[in-house]
Amino acid sequence: MTATAPAAPGPVARPARAPRSPWLPVALVLVVAATWWAADGIGFDVVELIASLGRANRIVSEAFPPNWGFVDQTIRPLIETFQMAVIATVIGCGIGLPVAMLASGISNPNRPLLWIDRSVLAVVRAVPDIMYALIFVSALSVGPLPGVLALILFNIGVIGKLLSETIDGIDPGPLEAATAAGGSRLLVNRWAVLPQVLPNYVAYALYSFELNIRASAVIGLVGAGGLGQLLQTQRRFFHYDNQLMIIVELFALVVVIEMISVWLRRRLV
Amino acid sequence: MIRLERASVTYPGGVQALRELTLEIPDGQMLVIVGLSGAGKSTLIRAINGLVPLTGGDLTIDGRSVVRASTRELREIRSKIGMIFQTFNLVRRTSVLNNVLMGRLHDAGTLRSLLGAYRAEDVELAMRALERVGIVDKAYVRASNLSGGQQQRVGIARALAQEPKIILADEPVASLDPPTSHVVMRDLQRINRELGITTIVNLHFLDLARRYGDRMIGMRGGELVYDGTGEAADEQVFRDIYGRSLTADDVLEAQAAV
Repeated sequence: MTATAPAAPGPVARPARAPRSPWLPVALVLVVAATWWAADGIGFDVVELIASLGRANRIVSEAFPPNWGFVDQTIRPLIETFQMAVIATVIGCGIGLPVAMLASGISNPNRPLLWIDRSVLAVVRAVPDIMYALIFVSALSVGPLPGVLALILFNIGVIGKLLSETIDGIDPGPLEAATAAGGSRLLVNRWAVLPQVLPNYVAYALYSFELNIRASAVIGLVGAGGLGQLLQTQRRFFHYDNQLMIIVELFALVVVIEMISVWLRRRLV
Repeated sequence: MIRLERASVTYPGGVQALRELTLEIPDGQMLVIVGLSGAGKSTLIRAINGLVPLTGGDLTIDGRSVVRASTRELREIRSKIGMIFQTFNLVRRTSVLNNVLMGRLHDAGTLRSLLGAYRAEDVELAMRALERVGIVDKAYVRASNLSGGQQQRVGIARALAQEPKIILADEPVASLDPPTSHVVMRDLQRINRELGITTIVNLHFLDLARRYGDRMIGMRGGELVYDGTGEAADEQVFRDIYGRSLTADDVLEAQAAV
């Protein structure tokens, strides 16, 4: 194709631009109104906020420098946090895999089962992790066990949501091939779905491991073991420098795990 | 023998893809189906292994109805029908061997397949299937690292690993270049002749259909408009199938020349 058609004498009429939506200004006004209503409702006041920074300043100066001598008392809870996260990630992600497969229309064509699984998953995710910790602490006892149970439910929610959405987006071709070969649903999912989402699954598991380390600080506040429980006792006695030490350690742990998981993910994909 | 009696498929949207089609396909035949896209070729192929359920009429394979089969019976029927796809439908992330072993899912046992602990016989069957299409050396290569033609051969090996009585091929060469198309079609023809596997192929290009089919059927609007040999199909037959005269777009060699 070397010869091109001769150019038309005048320019061809350009299509008219679609009219701007009249809803844009309405939406903007609504956002401003909602912000005003919310700020007014809770007494959010910027002047007040700046004034109270002075008080925060006192706490910060008491917290600095972190009490490095406190480290040896944190080692055991730190290890406990790590151990809780390991168990919760393994069990939670183990249960999360079939839960996620049941929650995607690609890997689960059974509508009633799909609906039940998705509903249960929605309820599991609707309850915050600290609420689970509260429930399990009062049902069982204070310590790492209720914390682990809370984290397991939390992980099922995370994996179920993220992985089922990943399954929704996979290539359905291999599923058709495995089905055509006479494979049962279970085996079709094992060989046509799992290999396609495996790198994502591992990435999500590492991510939820990281979330577990962080969550342990929060759920520990209600007595569910780990560093959070230590943080709570130090908070009660106003040892800000000890608290800062715990926060520094949590930060270091999360950063190290993040680095390891980035490295692992790069090798996997 | 595959037998369709007044087989109809109406999709939920109301599209009638098959209209009371009656057809007999004897064992060992190489049947080529031609027609425009939307003529019902893919529906016909998928009705044979029950991937698309009939909404009317009956379809039997060796006397067993695919329409009335239970889920378990359907799996058993499917295990003897290999299928080859236009886009290969391989799991690209996993090894060639794992893809071919998918053909053994029905017979390998649930626990064994679940753990990937296949019996040596199953692995050997998969290797022999790869040998037949000439790429056994690629068994442990990731499927995504193969060329299109090689990927389609993995698809054929996956079907062969089922030790099928029937092979269904849905536009198997539509994603391949002309020389590779001939290689794949020759593979299918050889398998049909040497193993006596009934082979049903949807094709877009008429020259391929005439060259490789023992028998050619033409479809248009869900109905059979031609049934005979490729050589006997004249200009009038093409008009019946395509609703117009034959053009360069309908033959692979002409496409290759462009």
